[in-house]
Amino acid sequence: MSTTNNHPKPVSRRQVLKAGAISAAAGMISSIPATAREARFAGDLAILNVALGLEHQAIAAYDAGAKSKLLSADQLKIAVSFQSDHKRHRDALTGFIKRFGGTPVAPKSSYDFGTITSAADIVKLAQGLEEGAAGAYLANAGNLQNREILNAAVPILEDEVRHNTVFKNLLGMDVTGRLKY
Amino acid sequence: MITEKREMHLVEPVLEDQKMRRDWFRLAATASAGAMIFLLTGNTKKLYAQSKEGDLGILTAALYLENEAVAAYQAGAESKLLSPGVLKVAVAFQSDHKYHRDGLSGVLKSFGVEPQGPEKKYDFGSLHSEKDILHLARDREHGAVLAYGTLASNILTKAVLNFGANVLVDEVRHRTVLNAALGIPNY
Repeated sequence: MSTTNNHPKPVSRRQVLKAGAISAAAGMISSIPATAREARFAGDLAILNVALGLEHQAIAAYDAGAKSKLLSADQLKIAVSFQSDHKRHRDALTGFIKRFGGTPVAPKSSYDFGTITSAADIVKLAQGLEEGAAGAYLANAGNLQNREILNAAVPILEDEVRHNTVFKNLLGMDVTGRLKY
Repeated sequence: MITEKREMHLVEPVLEDQKMRRDWFRLAATASAGAMIFLLTGNTKKLYAQSKEGDLGILTAALYLENEAVAAYQAGAESKLLSPGVLKVAVAFQSDHKYHRDGLSGVLKSFGVEPQGPEKKYDFGSLHSEKDILHLARDREHGAVLAYGTLASNILTKAVLNFGANVLVDEVRHRTVLNAALGIPNY
């Protein structure tokens, strides 16, 4: 994991969605469907790869948090549990992408999560990423064409919202507002 | 009794709520437009047999759950057992369910179906403490998460699916908050 000396800036949902949209567009342009099946679900594959990128990022963020030794035992327990969810999501998404003839995006060699100096920094980082992921899944749910993929995406969306809400609670943020994207 | 005036004070921002209501009705209009596209492209069999009937059944079931949730939070608020902080959350969550109810009703109307109202009376058992009410609400939210989570991928109309996903997100958030209040693990 790489860090900078800048103050940590949680990734906003808009940034994640923007990045997702760019990646999706790039993915669709660069991958010319080789089979009818792939062509039919090219949009789904692009969405899945964006989602997979977010899962890789989340796993790395939790790794960074765990390795920082800044988390309390209870916080670490939550982080490990949530990271385990993201690993499950990663594996499911990878499986779908392969089955539908796509190439799963690999994790980046390093992620810039900014400077982490406290447990609160880590929780804020995780909350921002979880909210971004929840927004991305929510925004794209209706665009998925394949019902099997949609079936798999629904519980993932539920996990992201649960994670985001737990962190918002921990940070004393308002949890009565509706998620917007 | 949660009065509209009280709710306006407690659930902020009001303008956002009004905006969401407009979005709801826009969604209903979109659902109707989507149905029209199916009709115009000649795919009426698919619309009627797979999309409209199926989605109508899901919407009707969802509306029942929303009416029940609104009533459950009302029972909790009227019990006078809730502390101010919990009451505020309950009012906000009830407001979400009213929003869901109105949206589902709007979509049903756009399909030409008159939405069903709430039951005349709900049996929520004995409510003797704040914890009883939190459990009542948590169980309703849990049921709604399971229902929406199971039904979401069966919805064929895109606008309805988008709406259902937004409702599911609310239900998961509610359940997570209530779990935390009750000491039920969220991980």
